[in-house]
Amino acid sequence: MNAIEIRNLTKSFGEKQAVCGLNMTVPMGAIYGFIGENGSGKSTTEKMICGLIHPSSGEIKLYGRDYTDNDVRSRVGVLIEAPGCFPNQSVWNNLILQATNLGIKDAKKEVIKALKMVRMEGAASNKYKNCSLGMKQRIGIAMALLGEPALLILDEPINGLDADGMRIMREVLTDITKNYGCTVVISSHILGELEKIATHYGIIRHGRMIREMSATELENSCPTYVALKARDMSRAKALLNLKYSRVIEADGYLRVYDAGSSEEIVTYLYENNILVSEIMTDKISLEEYYIDLMNEKGGDR
Amino acid sequence: MNEIKFEKTTLSKKLKTMIGVDFRRLFTSPLFYIMMGIALIMPILILVMTEMMDGMVTVDPNGNETIIKGFDNVWQIIGSKSDAQGAGGGLDMMTMCNINLLYFALAVIVCLFVTDDFRCGYVKNLFTVRSSKCDYVISKTLIGFFSGACMIILFFAGSMLGGAISGVGFDMDGVVGSQIFMSLMAKIFLMIVFSSIFVLMSVIAKQRAWLALVGSLGIGMLLFMMIPVISPLDAGAIHVILSLVGGVVFGVGMGAISTTVLRKTSLI
Repeated sequence: MNAIEIRNLTKSFGEKQAVCGLNMTVPMGAIYGFIGENGSGKSTTEKMICGLIHPSSGEIKLYGRDYTDNDVRSRVGVLIEAPGCFPNQSVWNNLILQATNLGIKDAKKEVIKALKMVRMEGAASNKYKNCSLGMKQRIGIAMALLGEPALLILDEPINGLDADGMRIMREVLTDITKNYGCTVVISSHILGELEKIATHYGIIRHGRMIREMSATELENSCPTYVALKARDMSRAKALLNLKYSRVIEADGYLRVYDAGSSEEIVTYLYENNILVSEIMTDKISLEEYYIDLMNEKGGDR
Repeated sequence: MNEIKFEKTTLSKKLKTMIGVDFRRLFTSPLFYIMMGIALIMPILILVMTEMMDGMVTVDPNGNETIIKGFDNVWQIIGSKSDAQGAGGGLDMMTMCNINLLYFALAVIVCLFVTDDFRCGYVKNLFTVRSSKCDYVISKTLIGFFSGACMIILFFAGSMLGGAISGVGFDMDGVVGSQIFMSLMAKIFLMIVFSSIFVLMSVIAKQRAWLALVGSLGIGMLLFMMIPVISPLDAGAIHVILSLVGGVVFGVGMGAISTTVLRKTSLI
């Protein structure tokens, strides 16, 4: 059974179609990186999964049940945009309110546990309005973690977090998926960070899912390349272009995509009197893969 | 990996938790205590000031003299007798400056309480863990009813204090204690009618508190003259029953409309 299954989901706001015929499958226990440009329909899709806005048509199933099923919804934790907290109430009070709302018997214990998970125990008595942006995001995560959620939906949760905050977030998300079997859907523009934790990816563009794959599939479809620095870069590029089909210059390096091995390139350039000063083999990152995909699908609507 | 289990949530449990959250919020909200303070102090101020002004003469630009008349007894601030001119009649001081002002105070409590949920995004937390909009409407209407009932009781207590401070008499003027009690009960039950209307206005306005307030106060003005007729000072059991039945019918009707509004519109 999948945690989320969406079929032909559509949402229109007047004339504008924000989501059109979207299909999405999130396996149980996955950390699903939901990627797309601004206005691609990520947040709208997440809001529909959460029941905050109503789909124009299509089907959303959470753990095999309709998304409006109260029993399933009581195990969904959400952080959409900013946390929904009362600014004049303390962090503690806000979390207790949500714990009560979830019907948690030992609300205090659960709130302490959630605050510890996001390393916010010391800020419980602070008024929410006095917290920094990063703290607010962590409070939002703590709120979403109350009641041992089976499904977490996080919209841009790492925005505004410092390096330490991002590390904590990574640890928390990995921990809850491993230890509690929680499924996480996380949308973010910080692809480098997402790449470290996601087990599955969904890429959305203009309201349509253009690619869905596991991290392994992504790794297999990400080509390796040889990056090198040579004494005479322009001549080296010209020479490499004669032998290899895809050679680009990026970050001060020449990248050769369909090279057999680095030795082969070094030998080839040496034979043509060009000395290689630096050489390494690497894979393209999620960010590069995403940008390539967007360029490739540029004209699609 | 742990197996995912979904606990069956019953309607009563869901409603109980929702009401629990709302009461916790109400009791930690400064607005609630401010409004309760106003309900207590308002009758004292009205009684003391009208007593001070009693017998004073005002002259308008045309030279017409008007003698300001204060309250004859404390009970007039609770309501007017059904045969009095004020009950369903003109807008004299006895009709305007009395306990019925609390229905406007209730609009402030309900509108700010409900629109605050939308303004700070709390509805996101609420409706992602439960999709029942009906619970929400019931809970908010009950909060309004409870606040209204508290204000009426505090206003009554304030009236007693105001009477003692200002020296306005406590003579019953043909009204018995049980009738005053019935009148207060009728006014309390009428709070359900107003609470449900204000909840509807607030869920329509969502985060726009000003719109909720303008709408609620506007409708409150329209229904204002109904209050002294349904809950006169010499009220009987029929008035209480009428208020209760009216409150329930109105509450259910307005509640159904509010629920539909929440279901059919986007929450953020």
